[in-house]
Amino acid sequence: MNIETAGLIRRFGRTEAVAGVDLQAGPGVFGLLGPNGAGKTTLLRMMATVIPPSSGTLRLLGRDPGAFGPRREIRRRLGYLPQSLGYYPSFTVLEFVEYFALLKELPPARVPGAVAAAVEQVGLGDKARARLRTLSGGMLRRVGIAQAIVNKPELLLLDEPTAGLDPEQRVSFRAMLRDLGQRASVVVSTHLVEDVGAACTEVALMHQGKIVFRGTPDELTARGVAGGAGDAPLERGYTAVLAEARS
Amino acid sequence: MSGPELTGDRGGLAAGGPLPPDVDLGRVWLGVATQVWRRRPGRVERLAGRLLRSPGLARALVTTPSLLLGWVIATVVLLAAGAVATRASGTPWVALCAPALAAAGIAYAYGPGIDPAWELSCSMAVSDRMVLLVRALALFGLNALLGVAASAVSGAAAALTFGWLIPMTAMCGLALATATVARSANAGVAAGLAGWVIAVLAGKAVDGHVLTAITDSALVLPYLAIAACGTAIAVYMTRIPRGTA
Repeated sequence: MNIETAGLIRRFGRTEAVAGVDLQAGPGVFGLLGPNGAGKTTLLRMMATVIPPSSGTLRLLGRDPGAFGPRREIRRRLGYLPQSLGYYPSFTVLEFVEYFALLKELPPARVPGAVAAAVEQVGLGDKARARLRTLSGGMLRRVGIAQAIVNKPELLLLDEPTAGLDPEQRVSFRAMLRDLGQRASVVVSTHLVEDVGAACTEVALMHQGKIVFRGTPDELTARGVAGGAGDAPLERGYTAVLAEARS
Repeated sequence: MSGPELTGDRGGLAAGGPLPPDVDLGRVWLGVATQVWRRRPGRVERLAGRLLRSPGLARALVTTPSLLLGWVIATVVLLAAGAVATRASGTPWVALCAPALAAAGIAYAYGPGIDPAWELSCSMAVSDRMVLLVRALALFGLNALLGVAASAVSGAAAALTFGWLIPMTAMCGLALATATVARSANAGVAAGLAGWVIAVLAGKAVDGHVLTAITDSALVLPYLAIAACGTAIAVYMTRIPRGTA
């Protein structure tokens, strides 16, 4: 298992953002759904080793992220796209991706090839030397994805990765996710249920810091057959589960 | 999202006619792009990479906001102006400015508030604590060097040429501690500047001389204590949070 959590809790003052999450995930694309404030981003930030849990157990890639050595090893094999990724406006696409490849301690000899491959993979080859301040929001998001995949991560955490992408780019991105999910554990936090239906092998729905549903996209769809609001079958499943959790 | 699917099966793309079926043009293009896009690090970055034995740390060092060329030039200009003013007026402006300049620079070595990709940097194998340590040491060294050079040029007495180094250490410690506690580089700058202004004004209030904050030997121990406490606080605040596995 690449991700193992048990009773994972994260508090901010009196607020319990993540309230006891038990989760195991191996290779594949794992979708994390839920309304605003459900705790998806906090859970992802803990998995990205940006913040520690308040209590509970977290193991990533078979290692304890609380200890220095294992954490460094996890980070070398980790790809992370935060929800709001800041950029250095004066950097070019190549410089930005290369900077994070170096910070991930990729062997220096491998860096130029890895950067070129990541930039090509997100379709920004023709913008490789463009300054980040000149790029559109969708392009910047793709730069963020490029830095996340530059080290061929075994654990890839993407928070709202398709925000700002146009429909054509989202279709390509889902194909890339499916490909990455063949060998890595990919966790995608999103509001867009169609992304989950198209790319994810498994899905979890969070509500008030807890996982209230876990299964395949088909199983989530089935939960909406009896009721639930929404235009698409998966949306109906999503709203039906949420309504049940709230009641 | 992937690049153009250029494979040998799509023969006829090359001017010389159909390509052999086993030629993967996508792979060829990547090889070309790798060479064409390869960035050659600057001299300072190469030197830092050799000294630190980490290309990532070296890159993080040369991207420090307060080590960028514009900031360094601004520091040099201010210290040069201070040296000229010292020669003209006799008031040791370099000694009075240097601690504040160094404190501001050190505070800007810390990410939150000024590093737009701070959240991402916190998930990297090269730890943010190590990055901060290297940046802070480099900034301290550079500011001390520039300050001593400006003091020497200004013709100040030896006690003044080096006397501000200890207050500078204290203000740097104060700025760094505040920045890490408040998780804001700007708060660190404010604390460093305010701390130094208070020290100078308090010295003047006691014996009517602005140089008391630099020349009074009774202040050495308090300055060292502030520097030590500031450093300890910064180290504590950037510690590795323990996991619960």
